[in-house]
Amino acid sequence: MARSPALRLVGRRLGAAVIVLWGVTLLTFIVMSTLPNDTAQTMLGLHATPAQVAALNKALGLNQPFWVRYWRWLVQALHGNLGTTLEGQSVNHELAIHLPVTLELLAYALVISVALAVVVAVLAARRPNGIADRISLSVSMIGLSASPLVVGIILVIVFAVQVGWFPVQSNGLGGGLGSFFVQGTLPAASLGFPLFAIYTRLLRADLVEQMQREDYIVTARAKGLSPWRVLIRHALRNSMFTLITVIGLNLGTLVSAAAIIEVLFSVPGVGSDLLTAIGNHDSALIEGIVFVFALITVAGNLAADLLYAVLDPRIRHGSTNS
Amino acid sequence: MAVPTPDAVLLTPGGPPALPSLLVSDRRIRAQRFWRGARLWIPLGFLILMLFMCFVLPRVVTLPSPTNGTILDGNDALFTPGHWLGTNNVGVDTFSQIVYGGQVSFEIGAAVTAIGMIIGCAIGIPAGYLGGWADSLLSRILDVLLAFPALVLALAIAEGLGPSEVHEIWALSVFSIPTFGRLARASTLAVRDLPFMTAARLSGTRGWRIIVRHVIPNIAPGLVSFSLLGVGLTIILEGALDYLGWGIPLPEASWGQMIASGQNIMSAQPQYVLVPSLFLLVTVVALNMFGDALRERWGEA
Amino acid sequence: MTEPLLSARDVVQEFAVRDSGGSWGGVVQAVSGVTFDVMAGETLGIVGETGSGKSTLARSLLQAPRPKSGTVTFRGTDLTRLRGRKLLRARRHMQFVFQDPFGSLDPRWRVRSIVSEPLLAYGDGSAGHRQARVDELLDLVGLDPARYAGRHPRELSGGQAQRVAIARAVALNPSLLICDEAVSSLDVLIQAQVLNLFEKLRSELGLSYVFIAHDLALVKQVSDRVAVMYLGRLCETGPGEAVYKTPLHPYTRALLDSIPATDPGAGRATTTLRGEPPSPISPPSGCRFRTRCPRAADLCAEQTPQMRDLGGGHTVACHFPLEKKEPSALKETAV
Repeated sequence: MARSPALRLVGRRLGAAVIVLWGVTLLTFIVMSTLPNDTAQTMLGLHATPAQVAALNKALGLNQPFWVRYWRWLVQALHGNLGTTLEGQSVNHELAIHLPVTLELLAYALVISVALAVVVAVLAARRPNGIADRISLSVSMIGLSASPLVVGIILVIVFAVQVGWFPVQSNGLGGGLGSFFVQGTLPAASLGFPLFAIYTRLLRADLVEQMQREDYIVTARAKGLSPWRVLIRHALRNSMFTLITVIGLNLGTLVSAAAIIEVLFSVPGVGSDLLTAIGNHDSALIEGIVFVFALITVAGNLAADLLYAVLDPRIRHGSTNS
Repeated sequence: MAVPTPDAVLLTPGGPPALPSLLVSDRRIRAQRFWRGARLWIPLGFLILMLFMCFVLPRVVTLPSPTNGTILDGNDALFTPGHWLGTNNVGVDTFSQIVYGGQVSFEIGAAVTAIGMIIGCAIGIPAGYLGGWADSLLSRILDVLLAFPALVLALAIAEGLGPSEVHEIWALSVFSIPTFGRLARASTLAVRDLPFMTAARLSGTRGWRIIVRHVIPNIAPGLVSFSLLGVGLTIILEGALDYLGWGIPLPEASWGQMIASGQNIMSAQPQYVLVPSLFLLVTVVALNMFGDALRERWGEA
Repeated sequence: MTEPLLSARDVVQEFAVRDSGGSWGGVVQAVSGVTFDVMAGETLGIVGETGSGKSTLARSLLQAPRPKSGTVTFRGTDLTRLRGRKLLRARRHMQFVFQDPFGSLDPRWRVRSIVSEPLLAYGDGSAGHRQARVDELLDLVGLDPARYAGRHPRELSGGQAQRVAIARAVALNPSLLICDEAVSSLDVLIQAQVLNLFEKLRSELGLSYVFIAHDLALVKQVSDRVAVMYLGRLCETGPGEAVYKTPLHPYTRALLDSIPATDPGAGRATTTLRGEPPSPISPPSGCRFRTRCPRAADLCAEQTPQMRDLGGGHTVACHFPLEKKEPSALKETAV
């Protein structure tokens, strides 16, 4: 074998990811072309004459066939130019302003949910079916069923309206770390709670299974290591793997959820930007944002796959059991 | 939205059961059996109650209108006589809105899940069973649909076609079809080459008969219990669409739209936003618990 | 000489293995050029270690999947040329029993439907007729229809499940049964019962068997002729008595020596195998056993030994077959 299996795997997955991304751009275009095409009308205002509208359509190339428009967009996008919004801004510029806000929010939500999930899962896995375990299962069942929207509403009522620790609406996450925590905690917690539920369940299941089934755990226990030590030093280390994979696979659903939360808390991220764009039929902006969302999703899946490939010894060594 | 991939949900129904100890007292076994039953019957009972409340009750009892009220009745608190869940700022009865909004939620949840299950299976089972280029092509299409932000597609369709219940069903189906498709494919792949499948083929059963008689009965339990999670997920997404104003057109009641309008009077009237939120939450919890309990049962069967 | 019931000629089966990530890992040469005949009414035992390709061979005979090359002629028809309905019709009289009794029964089906599946698939008789036939078959394999027909596989014991699989296999009155480790997963007592059932079916239905197992004693007990398989090739075939008494291939010798002696005074085996079987992805050149063979010479690496008959239908694929001597005399030659 000339190349390592892992390297070959990277190649294959990368190829598939590119195909999926391309499919998403095409699908976006198809969906956009079903929307009423009133870009020129919107730009010119209500009082524009049909002739003016037709002229602008021609100038923008909007009267051209679907494939021509798609091809032009694709070529431009490959050069890093995602087009112009209805308001005349470049889509790249728009993304540069709003994307970091969303990414910060996602990162904060992930940190909260993973940190909590690890602690709760370890406590729960220490004694399966014990009190901690039962509580964690119930709480995570609620989290699994809760939409970020509902979590957000409840958090706002409790912590913003009643207690008043946080603002009801967070206008922007900028302005230093302190301001970031004040503005960002409720949105991040709303996003993070359902995630926390998923991660806790997975991690707990994985830990319990390892503690019961894996020989090396039994060996470690037999050597006289304390249960906590075995759980944290041995089992958790292996389970984090599964967790990281799932985080990668879940990024896609997370960005969609972020859009709702951004609207709820008036966070100026790409999500709320996207909803405005859809309302305005701003095709270029929608295409740009959907592309970025898909990029995050696909990159998450790819990272999960590859991480697995790089770290899982069975794949690394290219096992050949028939 | 923030709900795990179908495979992940399916594989972790609360983790593997603890190894049974040999020294369990009779009482403990009875208690365990009771709780196992309770995990199935409590959510099921609640769901039946909810369905009764939404679909039967308004036919038996005359409820106040869910769309019109008089300003004189406005801002009633909880447990006001005649309006036991109160009214909103223009006097529309909250309970009535919950009932009619619930109808919409259940209808859409069931329809979207059924469409997803049927079309998803029609794509996923052949893809998984046949393999080869057909599988690669169909899987790529499902990948694209899954990588496409579900909400965006749903919003775009709702925006393009205009808000209505039927359009919302189709919009949300765009999300449920690839989810079920992928699950159906994965489960078909898992059973396709099991020895009993080979045995059935060698016994002379062929083609569609294998799929109908062997594949489908073996993957159905997983799909059905996942479909309950699917209904829950759809109800969540439906709420989000309504919340954003792209769902059920306005005078009609829906939970998401109740949350959206309640958000504006959150400080003065927190119950108006809390009531639909809690109904949304508890309904989905019940659906998920019921799905989990079913899976637990069928997994052992 | 009459025409054989089943004859395999140069059957080759290969698999492209993928590693768990899905990329290409190599080709496993599971079965490489296997040739043998099974006469009507005969039981051919095929014995070999785990990984020798026995099970793959069994499935290649059944065309599931079809072998890469070679022919499998059953009752005068070459199965490897047929597909679809024609293959089904030609294979009708060749049925199978697999190793895992539970694995080969659909867990969602009841015993009645499982046994009648081949009847239904081949369109045999009306529903009433099939029902009667199922009862008859269950009786034949020693299961009370009234008690067992309505059960699911999980409500059966391993032996009962295997009886159900056998009932399904003989439903169409086959002339040949391919048994792939059919009793290996059963307890010893149940094993004996199922073997007796096979024997009964043989005399009552005139069945022939290809009986595949790793247990030499078992194979010896049931077989008229025995074939020894190593790493995808047959190395020795012959009448059971001859192969066990005077093995010709060093591998057969080693296998026989590995059976623990039942007589405590007999002492330990003389030849033991060195090392592990080589990987079937890159098997040794020439004779595949040469890497572990005490008699290997340069010739063994250069030339693949062909099967040759050393008299009495006892054939061997070895450049330096053991003489027909008593095992005690072997010591001098083997060391």
